[in-house]
Amino acid sequence: MAEKYIDYETDILIIGAGGAGLRAAIAGFDSGVRVTVVTKSLLGKAHTVMAEGGIAASLGNLDSKDNWEVHFNDTFVEGVYISNWRMAELLAREAPDRVYELEQYGALFDRTPEGKISQRAFGAHTYRRLCHVGDRTGLELIKTLEDQVLHRDIKFFDEMYITKLLKKGDRVIGAVGIKLNSGEFYAFRAKAVIVATGGCGKIYKVTSNSWESTGDGLGLAFNAGAELMDMEMIQFHPTGMVYPPGVRGLLVTEGVRGDGGILLNSEGERFMLRYSPKKKELDARDIVARANYAEIMAGRGTPHGGVYLDISHKGADYIKTKLPSMYAQFKDFAGVDITKEKMEVAPTVHYQMGGIKVDPDTTRTNVEGLFAAGEVASGLHGGNRLGGNSLADILVFGRRSGLGAAEYTKKATLEDPSKSDIEGEIARVKSYLRDDGRNPYEVIEELSSNMSENVGIIRTETNLQKALIKILELKSAAPKVGVRGDLKYNKGLLACLEIPNMLTAAEAIVRGAITRKESRGAHARSDYPKKDPNFKKNIIYKKSGDEMKLELRPVPEMPENLKKLVDPEEY
Amino acid sequence: MTRAEYEFNVKRKDDGGRVSYSRYMVPKDRISTVLEGLIYITENLDQTLSVRYSCRMEICGSCGMEINGKPRMACSTIASKLGTDKIRVEPLKHYNVVKDLVVDIDPFFEKYREGLPYIIRSDDGNYSSELKQTPEEFKEYEKYSMCIKCGLCLDACPIAGTDPDYIGPAAMAGVLRYNLDSRDQGSKYRLEIINGEEGTSRCHFVGECSEACPKGVDPSFAIQLLRSQGLKHEMAKIFRRE
Repeated sequence: MAEKYIDYETDILIIGAGGAGLRAAIAGFDSGVRVTVVTKSLLGKAHTVMAEGGIAASLGNLDSKDNWEVHFNDTFVEGVYISNWRMAELLAREAPDRVYELEQYGALFDRTPEGKISQRAFGAHTYRRLCHVGDRTGLELIKTLEDQVLHRDIKFFDEMYITKLLKKGDRVIGAVGIKLNSGEFYAFRAKAVIVATGGCGKIYKVTSNSWESTGDGLGLAFNAGAELMDMEMIQFHPTGMVYPPGVRGLLVTEGVRGDGGILLNSEGERFMLRYSPKKKELDARDIVARANYAEIMAGRGTPHGGVYLDISHKGADYIKTKLPSMYAQFKDFAGVDITKEKMEVAPTVHYQMGGIKVDPDTTRTNVEGLFAAGEVASGLHGGNRLGGNSLADILVFGRRSGLGAAEYTKKATLEDPSKSDIEGEIARVKSYLRDDGRNPYEVIEELSSNMSENVGIIRTETNLQKALIKILELKSAAPKVGVRGDLKYNKGLLACLEIPNMLTAAEAIVRGAITRKESRGAHARSDYPKKDPNFKKNIIYKKSGDEMKLELRPVPEMPENLKKLVDPEEY
Repeated sequence: MTRAEYEFNVKRKDDGGRVSYSRYMVPKDRISTVLEGLIYITENLDQTLSVRYSCRMEICGSCGMEINGKPRMACSTIASKLGTDKIRVEPLKHYNVVKDLVVDIDPFFEKYREGLPYIIRSDDGNYSSELKQTPEEFKEYEKYSMCIKCGLCLDACPIAGTDPDYIGPAAMAGVLRYNLDSRDQGSKYRLEIINGEEGTSRCHFVGECSEACPKGVDPSFAIQLLRSQGLKHEMAKIFRRE
C-alpha cells in the first residue's frame, strides 16, 4: 500500500537537540551548509538541561598551575587507560576555548571577584576546574546554544522522532521520522547525518536521566551498521535522591561534595576516610558510588536505603548561593532543609561511557555519511567519566561533529532513498497501532527491573546470564507490543518505537559485561574483582545478521609525547 | 478515614475538536506528584491520554498545565499538598490544544525569539579569554536568567488571553536579562521592539505572571524596569535627534 509522507531535503541532518546536537548545528551552519535539527522533545528540553555541576576546562582561573596536560592526564587515568588518547587530548586542549566561546555567546557563569569565570573542585580533577553557574550549568548551556541556533537560519523540527536511518549501499543518505505532534511521516534526504541522541539511562529503574534517554541513536546507528564500543561501562553517580519514590534517582550534584559536603553512614562515620583516605568524597565516581553501595549493603544505610550527605556545616548563606537548585529540590520534593538537615542519597544510573565508535577528529563512524557526538558516542571517557567532562565533551565534539559533517557534505551528493524502504518503515510504525498488542510499559518495566537487579553496580556471571536470557525473551516479545489510539501525540506508540533501541542498548551492556572478566572503572565484578592487563582493551559491538557480535580490540597506542604526561598504570 | 485514591478529572480534546473530561482513580501510595499520577494513568489505565513531559525535576519546562484551575508544573506539584483528593487537570488555556493536555507552544517561542535573546556586541568574538564580569554585575541580571520557558506566565497573563499579539512576560523578562548584562551592547535594538503597543505599555501590572513563575523570575517587575529603560531610550533619541 502506498504510504503518505513528506519529503524534506537538507545537507546535514542532526538527530537530537541536546548540547552536542545544537553545538554541531552551529558549527555546521557557520561552515556554510544547510542544517536541519530534529528532536523528539521540544527545543531546549533535552536531557542536557539536567546537568548541574559544571564544564571541565583548564582555564586555571583559581589554580594557575592547571593546564590542558593535567586535564588530559586526569581524564585518561580516571578512564582507567581504555580511553581513546586522541579524544582525551582534544577535549583537554579545546575545552577552554569552547568555554570562552560559550561565555561570549552570553552564557552566565559564577565569577571570581576580579570578574573571571569561577571554577569549582570536582571528583578526581587535580585542580579546581569546573566552570559553572550555581548548580544549573546544563540549563544555561542549552539555553545559550538554543538562542544561538534561533538567530541562525537553522531549520528545526521539534517533536520529530526518527525511526530509521535510510541507506544506499553502504552509505547513510537520510532518515524516516514521525512528527509526533501531527502524526505525519517525513522522509529526510541528507548528505550527512549526525546522531546526537544522548544516553540510555531509562533502561534502568533508578536513574538520574530524563524520561527520554532511551538509547535511540544507539539503535539507529547499530542497525545501520555502525560499531558500538565500551557499552558495558555504565556510570553510577554516587549521589541520587532516594526519597520520596517519585524523585528516586534524581541527581544530587557532585558540587555538594565539591563545595564541602561529606558522606556519613547511619553510625555517623565519615566512611570515605576508610575507602579513599586521600581523595575522600572527591575520589572518582566509580569509587565513591561503590563505597556508598557497600555501606548500604553492610546494613549501615539510612531509613530509605541510602547514606547521608551533609553540607549543613557550611551555613545557610553559602548553601543557598552555591547550591540553590539543590536547596529547592530537597525542600520542595522531600521536605528536607539541607541547610539544617542531612540528605539521604544512593547511587543512580547516570551516564553511558560507551556508545557509537567515532573518529576523534571528525566524529565520523565506520558507516559513510554517519557521524555521532555527545553521550551517544564513545571513546573519550573510557571506563569512567569525570564530572564536568560531559558538558566539555558536547561542546568540543559537538563542534567537531558539525565541522566534520560539513566538510564531508562538500564532496557528497544527495541520494534518492528507495521508496519501498520508506513505505516499509511507515508500515512498521503503523503496525504498533492495534487493540490486541502487549502493553509496551510492561515490557519497559520488565526490562528496567531486570537491568537494575542483575546489571547493577556490582556484577556476577550468574546475574549477567540471567539478565541476558530475559533480554532475549523481551526481544522476541517486542514486535508484539501495541497501543490503541492514532498516530498523533501517542506516547504509547512512542514507547513501542523506543523499545527496540532500549533492548539494543541493554543487550550490548550485558554481553559486554559478560565478556569483560575483570573489574575496571565502572564495571565491577565480584567474581573477577581485579583489574587484568589482558583486558586493557576496548570491546566492539557489531551487527551481523540479526546477531550482535563482540570483539576485543587493543586500545590505540598513544604517541610518546603524550605518554610522558600520563601516570603509569598499576595492577 | 481518608480515601486511598485521588480522583483525577482530565480535560480531553480529540482530533475532531470534541472536548470531554475523563475520570481516573489513582492510588495515593503510587504517586507523589501530579505528573506521576498522569504517567500512572497512561501506563496503567488509559494509553490514549496525551501528556508532554521530560525531566521530572522542574528544569526542562515541558509539563506546564492547569491543575485545579492554576497554571503549574505537573512535575513539581505534590498531590498531597493540593488540599483536596480531587485533581482537575486541564491544558494551558492561552494556547491552542494539540491533543488532550498537549498545547502548541510555538507562539510562545516565537515571541521569545522576537526579543533578540543573545549577546549583541560591536566587536567580533575572540575566544581566547572571557569577557570580564564582576559578581555584582552578574547579580544584576541573574534572576532574569532563571527562565525555563515553560510558558506558565503567558497562561496566567490576562492580557495575553485577549491579545495574541502581546509580546508577553517571558519574552520581556528575556529582554531585560540581556539588557542588564554588562557584556551586552544591544539594549537599544531590543527597546525598539518592546517599546510600543504590544510591548511594555500593554502590561497592566496585575502580577499574575510573577505568581505563576515556578523559578521566581518575576516578569512583572522586569516589565516595570523595561518601561523605565524604554523612557530613557526615547528621551535620549529626542536629544540626539535620531
